[in-house]
Amino acid sequence: MVVNEEALMWVEKYRPKILRDVVDQHDIVESLKAFMKNPKVMPHLMFAGIPGTGKTTTALCIAHELFGIQNWRNFTLELNASDERGIDTVRERVKDFSRYSRGAFGDVPFALIILDECDQMTGPAQTALRRIMETSSRTSRFILICNQSSKIIEPIQSRCAIFRFSRLDRTAMIEHLKDIAKKEKVDISVEAVERIVDYAEGDLRHAINALQTAAAYKDGSPVDERIVSQIIGEASPKQVQLMLNKAINGDFIEARRVMYDIIGTYGFSGTEIIRQMQKELFKISYIPPEQKAELSNIIGEYDYRLTQGANSDLQLSALLAQFAKAGKALGENS
Amino acid sequence: MLLNKKGFKLPRVEKEKFITLIRLGLEYDNQKMLFSVKNYNNINQLRDTLQDILKSEISFTQTCNICNIDFGCSTCKYAKACPTKDLPFSCVCNQCLRPKKQIQQQLF
Amino acid sequence: MKNDLWVEKYRPTSIKDIIGNEEAKTVFTEWLENKRPTKKAVLLYGPPGVGKTTLVNAAANEYKFRIIEMNASDTRSEKAVNRIANPATSFTGLDKFSSEIKGNMLFMDEVDGIAGNEDRGGVNAIIKIIENTRTPIIMAANDCELEKLRPLKKLCLLIRFQQTRIPLIIMALKKICEQEHITYEFAALEKIATNSQGDVRSAINDLQGLSEEGKTLTEQDTLALGSRSKDISMYDTLKSYFATKNIAEAVSLLNFSNVEYDDLLMAIGDNIPRRHSNPVDLAEAYNYLSQADVFRGKIGTENWHLLKYVYNNLAQAAAVNPESYKPFEFISPPIRVITLFWTKSKRTMLNSICTKISAQCHISKYETKMIYIPYLRLMLQQKKKANTLIKWLKLTSEEVTFLTSLKMF
Repeated sequence: MVVNEEALMWVEKYRPKILRDVVDQHDIVESLKAFMKNPKVMPHLMFAGIPGTGKTTTALCIAHELFGIQNWRNFTLELNASDERGIDTVRERVKDFSRYSRGAFGDVPFALIILDECDQMTGPAQTALRRIMETSSRTSRFILICNQSSKIIEPIQSRCAIFRFSRLDRTAMIEHLKDIAKKEKVDISVEAVERIVDYAEGDLRHAINALQTAAAYKDGSPVDERIVSQIIGEASPKQVQLMLNKAINGDFIEARRVMYDIIGTYGFSGTEIIRQMQKELFKISYIPPEQKAELSNIIGEYDYRLTQGANSDLQLSALLAQFAKAGKALGENS
Repeated sequence: MLLNKKGFKLPRVEKEKFITLIRLGLEYDNQKMLFSVKNYNNINQLRDTLQDILKSEISFTQTCNICNIDFGCSTCKYAKACPTKDLPFSCVCNQCLRPKKQIQQQLF
Repeated sequence: MKNDLWVEKYRPTSIKDIIGNEEAKTVFTEWLENKRPTKKAVLLYGPPGVGKTTLVNAAANEYKFRIIEMNASDTRSEKAVNRIANPATSFTGLDKFSSEIKGNMLFMDEVDGIAGNEDRGGVNAIIKIIENTRTPIIMAANDCELEKLRPLKKLCLLIRFQQTRIPLIIMALKKICEQEHITYEFAALEKIATNSQGDVRSAINDLQGLSEEGKTLTEQDTLALGSRSKDISMYDTLKSYFATKNIAEAVSLLNFSNVEYDDLLMAIGDNIPRRHSNPVDLAEAYNYLSQADVFRGKIGTENWHLLKYVYNNLAQAAAVNPESYKPFEFISPPIRVITLFWTKSKRTMLNSICTKISAQCHISKYETKMIYIPYLRLMLQQKKKANTLIKWLKLTSEEVTFLTSLKMF
């Protein structure tokens, strides 16, 4: 595997550069290879799936293979829908890019625009995006990345070849981590690797970050399960999940305490927490789909109230109370 | 205008004003030809009168009771929150207040 | 030991240990030592908590005189004053007289507390005593500009006490921390001192209230200070709010309370979970609070006609399922003060850190916050290995310190 030597976060250092190295998405890679052979017929692409499964990596690999590892940045625009201020900035950046990039590179008659987190865009913004895609289709191809393709409007979906990235296989993740550990000369037990992979729940970025943290944690000493548990306890990016679970299980006061920890420790805003709540709700297996949909709507309602009201933690608390109520109903029905 | 509380000059004033200043707490040293603050009971009025005479805003130096240097309140970090700044009292200068960094307990 | 009040424990017993007001101390001691022709009475005046009483006690200690004390709680009618201050009928009794004691001092604290009618000529009585006595008289007052004190002032040497300057308060807090073996962040002492507005006593009380044995006092701990003065009426408002029996009563109460709306919303939000153990009731109550908050948001700074909707919703929240109520203890001040740690500058710094990282790692700032920062702040703790990482991410040392200091749960 080609390694980015200067990159010092292992998620970047060991990010696959070519399609062949992408972890555990063989079917997708095979289909994409066909397009690579004849780039002229490549349509717009949409990569959908849960976080950490290789969508961004695959998009970047396509850029590398189309434009070469040295030059790909000249022909690729990376955008993130949640970081851009609005659809107008997106349009501006796409326009500028189309104007100044060298539109063609050898066999490849277009430049690449990678737009991440497009399921965060509102309906009207997506409609405008569709028009942007149309007007620049002569010179550019879009790769749209999202978690839930259902949140993308029909007209965009119909213009893209959609690839669904499934959860990574546990063994594949373990092997990948072991490979990195070997290259970084990290002494880590198999149980510790397995613990990391279980904790990561299919998100390879979490897993690699946890590995790097564990390796850095106790300078030089071998990484065992105990150290991994400590890392997991202290890094704790699962606080939103914890907060939700506590609320659903009826421990409201504790859920609220976790909420304040999240706000206090990481400085997440109300909107960011709500966004994460939507993602976490999606993952919870023990809530049946109808209730999930209802809860998702309730989250939406409180998301709106958050923007109108004066006190974001009050709105969040009220939302948690709704989850506690739903949790009680679930418990009574089962 | 920063007046050093230990001794400062004033322009020539008429006798009445001079007497007022002495009553308000100033002392005049004939040899050095300097004024200094002796009595602090009427310090606010004193400052006001001096401001009238000198036609500008007055602050006095503080003396650090640890290292003994004179410094002005404007050099102090806490001037904004301080209730009695610019008056000629003794205080502690910022350097003596915090001679070296406290070691913080490890949070890890 | 734990029940010691630090303001008492560390009250200076010698004049030189009293911080601030050097000049006042000098004049007072000169008066005590009778160095110049002087008046029989002295009036110490200035804001509370600056050391007037402390000075009197310390001086009594050093100069060895007994204090015969009267203060505002005593009746100051002519009869009462005569009874106590006249040495022939002094309560202390001559049998307590020790050969070491050089004499008596009469000390009257809070003379500005003498009211017009109730004390029936208390001021005159004091004047008579001053004129006739051989016992030196020390008086203290917060405010000596009161008209009724004017005849008194003529007979006294006036000594003015200033509020204590911040650096001096910090020094005092430092000393106490050292003696109580408390580790602290300097910034925490700064915050307590600046918050005290020159009142050493309340600064020491705050220090005692905020510090905990075995824990480091951090700047973040001091954020609870801000709401001190508002607590009293908030407590009363909360108490009445949670005691209302119907919506009309609640609306009426809210109209008369002068507590800040936003503080009240937060405080009710903190306390309502303690009242409802049934999640259905809690969700309903919170729903009303949430709606109240939305209206509060819509008011902004101008649309005060919407205030009634805020009140109506708060009142509804107060009236959810009254049969289920059980008494509980209030939380005050609001828990939310923690979030004040995240000032604009801290948010900006976190934002710029996330921007740098997201540029290098092909992810959004949101994902950086969620997925990378929690691990990164731990990775950076290992200084040796982290150097190259820091360089690659282009983080400044300030940013690194900030990340590694993010508190854990």
